Amino acid sequence: MPLWYSSISAEHATVRQTAGIFDCTHMGVWEISSTEAAEFLNLVITNDITGLFVGSAQYSYILDTAGNVLDDIIIYKRAENKFMIVVNAANNLKIKAYLEGLRNNQVVIDMGNPERKLKYSPAVRDMKICCDDADCRVDIALQGPAAKDLIFAIIKDKKIQEVIENLKPFHFIETIMAGAECIISRTGYTGAKTGFELFVHPAKAPQIWNKLLQGGAVPCGLGSRDSLRIEAGLPLYGHELAGPFNISPFEAGYGWAVKLEKEFFIGKSAMQQNSKTYNMKVTRIELPATKGVRPVRQNDTVLDKTGMCIGSVLSCAKVDEKQIALAYISKNTMENAPVGIYYAARNQNQVRQGRKQNIQKEQNLQADITGMVVSRFAKFDVGEKI
Amino acid sequence: MIAEGLLYTQDHEWVKIEGDTATAGITDYAQEILGEIIFVEMPAVGKELKFHDEMAVVESSKSASDVYCPAVGRIVEVNSKLESKPELVNEDCYGAGWIAKLKIADSSFVDRLMDAKQYADFLKGL
Repeated sequence: MPLWYSSISAEHATVRQTAGIFDCTHMGVWEISSTEAAEFLNLVITNDITGLFVGSAQYSYILDTAGNVLDDIIIYKRAENKFMIVVNAANNLKIKAYLEGLRNNQVVIDMGNPERKLKYSPAVRDMKICCDDADCRVDIALQGPAAKDLIFAIIKDKKIQEVIENLKPFHFIETIMAGAECIISRTGYTGAKTGFELFVHPAKAPQIWNKLLQGGAVPCGLGSRDSLRIEAGLPLYGHELAGPFNISPFEAGYGWAVKLEKEFFIGKSAMQQNSKTYNMKVTRIELPATKGVRPVRQNDTVLDKTGMCIGSVLSCAKVDEKQIALAYISKNTMENAPVGIYYAARNQNQVRQGRKQNIQKEQNLQADITGMVVSRFAKFDVGEKI
Repeated sequence: MIAEGLLYTQDHEWVKIEGDTATAGITDYAQEILGEIIFVEMPAVGKELKFHDEMAVVESSKSASDVYCPAVGRIVEVNSKLESKPELVNEDCYGAGWIAKLKIADSSFVDRLMDAKQYADFLKGL
């Protein structure tokens, strides 16, 4: 996946106005199956899959026993005991090793009871490994208000169109698209109200991709994928989850995906603690991006209206005439609060000129630009039909 | 695209020498790699720079990159148009997107630069 095909801003606008496609074949795709799959998964993940039915999906976390986030994932229930999970590319091998360790009882799952073992050992299969006739899958994301029309230009069957038309967020169907078996799921990573992920056999992915291009979908790169998810407020592993601050699901704003009422899951005791004691949170901040304003970057300092450091920037993107930053700041900062940004030194020359690096919390500084805390997540309605 | 008559560094800066004035900017290769440039931090006029000193910072939506001084001398003028139109660096990197002019103090730095043909060969090797 390149950083961009045309330009980040043009691709970003396309997804908000019509539809873009993203080659997400780098994402890890795993199958967990056998009679013990559901029981196994529900002990490994933070969310609760007992409420899932065939054709529905769920966002969740995989933690280690100390509560560190190993990855954020989406779980798709394809049959009573057949689940597909989609993991971050950067975490794919780690999750593979972790699942293997869990299946073989080589991993401590409960710090309070090191002897505790998972009793289940379901089949785990890498669905990206391409083999003839097998059920292998890679991810292509089709996102934006025109996404449905692009699918309907390929899938003409009115009955299937109606099912897709009525697909709710985090629901999916299994059908045939351009001659290929395809999971069409109303999920995505752009915040688009109408967005789908298409899971197809790796050998069939190019024909689906090309068909969508012919239909008018615009190819989009990693740069707009990042600016879209930042604008929407969605976390990226290593930035708004885990990473240098070891950000927890509660701090990221996803406490709802950690079901503390479950009897047990790996990392539960740490999450019980964290849910009561956390005092920082991920917030969305709107800042100006008029001409001549230096772009805000990761590690820049966030100040309250008195100039006191309350945290730092995790990610930032320019969207039209504003910048949207995701920042890790004091939990008691409210929506609509005015905040300032201090640009941390970008290089040694700036350090020599007196610009600071490694700013500590509660240090006082003069803001370079000012903005405002906005809603944790953005809503996009313009041009949207569903 | 490489412009004839300019000299180049391995860090993808160019410099045009006219008498004792050196005009400096970044190359087409550099602007292409950086993507949409949205901010340029200019050096202060009057500043004395040695070869390869940090001269400017060019920021795109994906990165902040140092621009090193491809000459030796004192900054006599900066391209103030870039404050409101940083995209000139993308649109016309060898022309309207120039970054700074220096009064050359010592021209021996020229030996450390490549001509257009050498720079083209250098790019092929990357």
